[in-house]
Amino acid sequence: MVLLDEEIERLKHTVPTRDLSAELLPEIRATLPVQFPELSDAVERSEHVVDEANGVVVRVHRPVGLEGAVPCVYSIHGGGYIRGTYDMDDAKFDRWCPQFGVVGVSVEYRLAPETPYPGPLEDCYAGLKWTYDNAAELGIDPDKIGITGVSAGGGLCAALALLARDRGEIPLQFQLLDCPMIDDRQITPSSQDEDLVIWNKASNAFGWQSYLGDLYGTDNVPYTAAAARAEDLSGLPEAYVCVGGADGFRDENIIYAMRLYGAGVPTELHVYPGAPHGVGLFPQTAIAHRYAADREHWLRRQLVRLRLSQV
Amino acid sequence: MATVPLHEEIEPIKEMVPFAVINADNLPELRAGRLGELPELSDAVERTDHVVDEANGVVVRVHRPVGQEGAAPCVYSIHGGGYILGSYEMDDAKFDRWCQEYGIVGVSVEYRLSPETPYPGPLEDCYAGLKWTYDNADELGIDRNKIGITGVSAGGGLCAALALLARDRGEVPLQFQLLDCPMIDDRQITPSSQLDELLVWSRESNAFGWQSYLGDLYGSDDVPYTAAPSRAEDLSGLPDAYVCIGGADGFRDEDITYAMRLYGAGVPTELHVYPGAPHGVALFAHLEIAQRYSADQEDWLRRQLERLG
Repeated sequence: MVLLDEEIERLKHTVPTRDLSAELLPEIRATLPVQFPELSDAVERSEHVVDEANGVVVRVHRPVGLEGAVPCVYSIHGGGYIRGTYDMDDAKFDRWCPQFGVVGVSVEYRLAPETPYPGPLEDCYAGLKWTYDNAAELGIDPDKIGITGVSAGGGLCAALALLARDRGEIPLQFQLLDCPMIDDRQITPSSQDEDLVIWNKASNAFGWQSYLGDLYGTDNVPYTAAAARAEDLSGLPEAYVCVGGADGFRDENIIYAMRLYGAGVPTELHVYPGAPHGVGLFPQTAIAHRYAADREHWLRRQLVRLRLSQV
Repeated sequence: MATVPLHEEIEPIKEMVPFAVINADNLPELRAGRLGELPELSDAVERTDHVVDEANGVVVRVHRPVGQEGAAPCVYSIHGGGYILGSYEMDDAKFDRWCQEYGIVGVSVEYRLSPETPYPGPLEDCYAGLKWTYDNADELGIDRNKIGITGVSAGGGLCAALALLARDRGEVPLQFQLLDCPMIDDRQITPSSQLDELLVWSRESNAFGWQSYLGDLYGSDDVPYTAAPSRAEDLSGLPDAYVCIGGADGFRDEDITYAMRLYGAGVPTELHVYPGAPHGVALFAHLEIAQRYSADQEDWLRRQLERLG
């Protein structure tokens, strides 16, 4: 049973919930998930090809006139592993870069099912590695890089934190996991709710099937594909986990946060009753405001912590 | 030895916490002292004490904003102290603020403590105070359909148990339960409950608290869910819940799990977990993390009261 926030209940018809499938995918990809607002000229944006063969591109967002090496937020867009573009991060960085004095980097990774795991994750890693290697030219402090992502972007973000830990090439300072899609098994109670809105059971199964390809439904899914499967969460950077109470990912996210704690990773967890997946699609509601404000407040505190650590 | 990182502002001042272990030997001394300074109260709130159960010495204190007319919502509060310590005076300062700010009537209950009074005595005292409040709502200027409950630590545990008991008995409708780092699992089997060097409320103190509260039931499989709500199998039909807990609190895992199970039972639940915050983070009231902890809680309370209208 899914209980929606009253304001969301009244507005949910404005964002139709559909069962994503191979047939529907071309149409869904052709429509924008959100309206892209006009961007300010307080942030300059530049594109950089990271991997020409695979078409991996990053966009660097920098506050105009900001000098010196500053912290960097590396962002991975959402879309169930099967849709979306890095344009979805433009509006966020248009606000965050001037407000927090950070350089933002958003990555255009390949999508499933055309590119199943590990392609999309390796694209995200390539973009991160490129950012780290070119930090000096980009005006980034390479020891102050954190990562963030929403939904499948949150799943890729959790996986990227694991991969970066395992490879030991790039130190990460924080991971902001916004309703991350991390468990392919779909066994938690919340993942089996029949009346989920925005991202329902059918869409979730299709997303995982597309991303995992032949691995789907087997016991051989690596933890860098589905972070919920990771047994060892130690040595990961500080984490923020937020999720709605009416989101199918609710239980997998709460459990992941609890396990991060168990592994000694400082973790902040917030669960908002009545918020569905993608509550940010209803930006006019009080609950979406609070959801975003808590998240940005944490980000601000992380950046303060990083700035203090240099003295 | 498994430990947990403390918030960077708390680590350097953790010595402020005067005791590490509570046991039968130092209990009298701790009871004679006070859990924190009791601040001066304003005269904007009038306080009256009412005997609810003379035989058992159960008293409630009613806190009402001076000059407020009509039937107001009520927040019923149960103080903390590991089931073995504390008094209803600990809620005076909170209601001095909340009554004025939210226009509510506050009720705090003086229940009997363990080990002198083990379960179910303390819980029945809390129930008696709640039932009295409900039955006397008209005289007290309370809207009996707008009563919510709250408690911190063992008070949060009693609060969760009271919500279950009120549901089961069907006499008093409750609108919300605010569970602040509730002490709800006597089994002490979660990873966080087994951490060493827990600040404020250690593993040893926790074992002593449960032992005192459960008496002969301690360590057995016969502990009822109204003694330790984590044991409840059916959480459906409970009022809207708020659960908050520190990441460096031994109750972390039992509280997160309880919130997750409330969700599973269809109970609208808000959950916040604050990294580095130990049990009783409010003891460090001047720190940003303690202020955020209470601001989030009060914001939820405000929204609940708006919902009740």
